[in-house]
Amino acid sequence: MITEERLKILTESAKYDVSCSSSGSARKNEGGMGNGYVAGCCHSFTPDGRCISLLKILLSNDCIYNCKYCPNRLDADVPRATATPEEICELTIDFYKRNYIEGLFLSSAVCKNPDYTMERLLLTVKKLRLEYNFHGYIHLKGIPKADPLLMKEAGRYADRMSYNIELPSEKSLKLLAPQKSKESLLLPMKTLAMQTAQFREEKKKGLIKGHFLPAGQTTQMIIGASPEADGQILRLTQALYQKNGLRRVYYSSYVPIVHDSLLPDTAVGQLREHRLYQADWLLRFYGFSVEELLSENENLATEFDPKCAWALKNMQLFPVEINRAPLEMLLRVPGIGSKNAYKIMEARKYTKLSFEDLVKMRIALKRARHFITCNGKFFGEKNEYSVRGLLAAAETGENAKQLDLFSILSSPQNAMIALSGQL
Amino acid sequence: MVYIFDGTKLGFLTAFLLAYEDGNALLTSHAVQLPLGESFISVTTDSDKAKRVERRLLTFDTDALHALDRLLRSGMENHEQIAFRYFKKLATEKRPIDKNFADPDVFAAVECMKKVGHEIHKMHGFVRFMELENGALYAPISPDNDICDLLLPHFRARLPEYPFVIHDVTRKKAAVYDGKNAFVAPLGTADVLISADEEGWQKLWKNYYKAVNIPSRERLKQMRGYMPVRYWKFLPEKQETPNSFE
Repeated sequence: MITEERLKILTESAKYDVSCSSSGSARKNEGGMGNGYVAGCCHSFTPDGRCISLLKILLSNDCIYNCKYCPNRLDADVPRATATPEEICELTIDFYKRNYIEGLFLSSAVCKNPDYTMERLLLTVKKLRLEYNFHGYIHLKGIPKADPLLMKEAGRYADRMSYNIELPSEKSLKLLAPQKSKESLLLPMKTLAMQTAQFREEKKKGLIKGHFLPAGQTTQMIIGASPEADGQILRLTQALYQKNGLRRVYYSSYVPIVHDSLLPDTAVGQLREHRLYQADWLLRFYGFSVEELLSENENLATEFDPKCAWALKNMQLFPVEINRAPLEMLLRVPGIGSKNAYKIMEARKYTKLSFEDLVKMRIALKRARHFITCNGKFFGEKNEYSVRGLLAAAETGENAKQLDLFSILSSPQNAMIALSGQL
Repeated sequence: MVYIFDGTKLGFLTAFLLAYEDGNALLTSHAVQLPLGESFISVTTDSDKAKRVERRLLTFDTDALHALDRLLRSGMENHEQIAFRYFKKLATEKRPIDKNFADPDVFAAVECMKKVGHEIHKMHGFVRFMELENGALYAPISPDNDICDLLLPHFRARLPEYPFVIHDVTRKKAAVYDGKNAFVAPLGTADVLISADEEGWQKLWKNYYKAVNIPSRERLKQMRGYMPVRYWKFLPEKQETPNSFE
């Protein structure tokens, strides 16, 4: 059993990684313990409002790199610890058996060199799969600059892998993480995408069995440690989704745990992170492209959510008739989410929906009423300036609540979201 | 008229048939305070009649029995009445109505079923097993809805080598997997002997829970929203002392 002290060090070093989802894998139990849960599953929630789904831990926090923003950087005066692969496996099995966790999220500081570190991670994951017969979820962090053959092998055992892009531009990387480059972070993502495609091809032909990253790849970037605008960040995001087939991009608002003259001393408000997630959702589930939302040097509006901001710029498209609008358009109405759009689509097959019907269906109309008609009747404010005022007022009143909602977005395995299929 | 039935599926369907024409029918299986001037009928389950109703409802909607099962498992006080109104509507409309969200009776039933479904998903996460001396696993739960047997397939699939008991301590029943078969059995109080290592693992888990939190971002309201306080009773990470059960 790993000691409490080392568990504490290795957990505290891992906790700033925001990704924790356990969704996307339908791995079967093939004798032994565990299986995948496609919708993902949260097992507990910590007082910071985040969920615990996976045992998130580092194999070691003993790093040779000196990235300015990182609490585990070479220069930092922090306690160091390293776990053995056996200790990690034991911990995973005994936690899993008690239903504390959905699986393992394993990462590591770069010890000695990238290949050595990746070998240790791979060894741990293989041990867990082959010796401990564990079929639960494994999210493995990739180590940049490690041998592609090691990545390829890891892909056979992990459900999901992620390489963190860390900072949204080459310039910021040079400044804050001089040992990393955009290329060294993007290349492994591309390689993994190619390896995945190749595996699927071979599997289709019956040449190979098993899995290769059934839950795909994700990445994360730190927001606010460097000066990039939201427009630039979201363009990078869109490219990652479209070109590299990533499942999720996580945003982590910068928390000044480390003090350095190159870094800001204040934390980024969580509102910015929240707005980025809202925009990210629009890109993935609402049919928006980043070009429609904002220009490259622009930031997302703080006073409205990104869909409201878009609608206010495109008032000529509204109001839309709730009984006739196609799904694509319903999804673009401020205040109507994907679940409610679906409810409207279904309910209107039975009856012509009136405004009262929407109220009965508990569809939030505070924003939506300015953008819809029900059987030709309009219930909103006609004057565009008044609409702006009302929307902003709705937002301010809800701001606290809005911020609470933020973790729905950063912990996607949340049941509601899982049920709405937004994974 | 108030129709009191035994709470079972067949009992409900018998009562449904009796109450169908009654515009002011109230269906329940609980002892209720009768409204002033109201009388009641104690329904005797007639399985032949009930099966006939069942077959008829299935011709209108192939999912009808699944919906009925969910509704009868609900912990909401008026869930049987919600079910009655829903199936009455189904029998009148004679076609699936489950997506007619603008109808108040349908909406109430859909919300009621959703609560049951959500709790099953929540319990997949919140069940906490303790390892017993004999290697079996034991988890006490106290869910809002009567769902302990619906948790069996999930845990059986992931822990096929471990016999386990999921004990609904409120309803005094348990979902049991003995290593081969899964079944439900009545269970009042359980005498369990935990394994020698159990306390150590619980301690380590509580340690982990504490370490993975970011104290500077405290959002307690949100934590409670996702993990309501009523579920904390059986979560070791929310207990000050190791979870032990006499």
